[in-house]
Amino acid sequence: MTDEKGTLALVIGAVIAVAAQVVLAPNIAIFSAQPNFIVAFCLLAAIVRPAASGPVLPFVLGLASDFVTGAPVGSTALLLVLFTFLAARAFAVLNNDTVFMPLLIFVVAALLIEMLSGAFFLALGSGVSVLDAFVYRALPCGLYDCVVGLVLYPLAARVLAPPAPMGPGAPAHL
Amino acid sequence: MAFRNQNSGRPLAGGILLVALLVVSVALVTVYSREGADGPLHSAQNAVADAIAPLKLAGAGVSSGVEAAGQAAADATADESTLSALRESNAELRELVAQTEEYRQEAQRLQGLLDMKDRYDIEGAAARVVGKSATAWNQTITIDAGSAEGVEAGMTVMGSTGVVGQVASVSEHSSEVRLLTDSQSGAAAMVQSSRAEGIVRGSLEGLLYLEDLDEDAEVAVGDVVITSGLGGSYVSGLMIGTVVRVEAGQGGTPSTVVVSPNDAASALEEVMVVFSVGSQAAGDAADDEAAEGGEAQ
Repeated sequence: MTDEKGTLALVIGAVIAVAAQVVLAPNIAIFSAQPNFIVAFCLLAAIVRPAASGPVLPFVLGLASDFVTGAPVGSTALLLVLFTFLAARAFAVLNNDTVFMPLLIFVVAALLIEMLSGAFFLALGSGVSVLDAFVYRALPCGLYDCVVGLVLYPLAARVLAPPAPMGPGAPAHL
Repeated sequence: MAFRNQNSGRPLAGGILLVALLVVSVALVTVYSREGADGPLHSAQNAVADAIAPLKLAGAGVSSGVEAAGQAAADATADESTLSALRESNAELRELVAQTEEYRQEAQRLQGLLDMKDRYDIEGAAARVVGKSATAWNQTITIDAGSAEGVEAGMTVMGSTGVVGQVASVSEHSSEVRLLTDSQSGAAAMVQSSRAEGIVRGSLEGLLYLEDLDEDAEVAVGDVVITSGLGGSYVSGLMIGTVVRVEAGQGGTPSTVVVSPNDAASALEEVMVVFSVGSQAAGDAADDEAAEGGEAQ
């Protein structure tokens, strides 16, 4: 797969993620937990394409998420830009050619994003306690994001990953 | 290509872009938190909500599909011979019964709304729930009535048994309703039997809490809680729910009063937006007539 095709796959995936967030996410909620397909997609893209992912896609998708979900505009964009960058760097440093490491990075980043989303929610005027925000929203939503990420990871690794370097002895991407 | 700006050839440009986008994000959050509900970012958010309302309606079909898939999975684990015999003889009847049941439930819900409209002498507009919040942090629903139908921000919204929320934002043919169970909701309320006044607030658990009660307030399990109308945010005298738990604090003062909401958000399919209630409607009509009479003279 050429990288142009990878970029096209990113754009298509982004559109699907936004549509899934609007149409699917509210209808597959488990108690108070809803998955965030946009967060999952951005993190997967950053982990699968650590050297080729930039801040523009998470910024645009973060803004889209804020507009469609009613979250404070800019909050998700900020978190996605920051954590996709950190996730990509962490993967570049910690990659040991196993599936464990990218998934671990994904889980940690997803949980942190949900927790910090809760922090924005609290900081911008909600009267709930920090413990309630964590127990009733951030933790279940973060875990749901992790499930979505774990399910979609094989697909993302296949579709979004950049072409492996050619030549004898070239290492596989994952 | 923007998506590839972190390639090794341009690390500096990628770093600058990263910092720039972070700064823009922080600036947006700051502007959003400082501007009012009529600010440009809030207005843009409302416009997007209006634009994606039809997509949310499509989501209702997805919900039915998810439920059907769950039922199919349950059926698949049953005994096959039993299922095939029953399937053949019951196929037509099942479809008919399902359709009839759907109509019956819809009629029941609409009858409930009509009864409530008559009971409170409500002037309002009925609307269908076409979508739910796309994030777990907000308890909102989208309804298919907007400014074209006379809906305005701040209006009270009722389910078949009482108040469920308040219109948060309005576009031409749809509105966002913030449910009472949302943690950012609050309604001036009173206990119907003792007239003790307080504030009903939502929470992340989905429960309603009656707070700010007087020290000598008398509240018991089973008491009905209604809107008091204080502050003008909700129409007065409408049922909010029933007290299900009272935890006494020091000196017997109720410290925590939990109110069971009327309708669960997941069960809401039709609602009524309240324009005015009872004497208020009559008063408004009298005012209108007086104004028209004055103009004619």
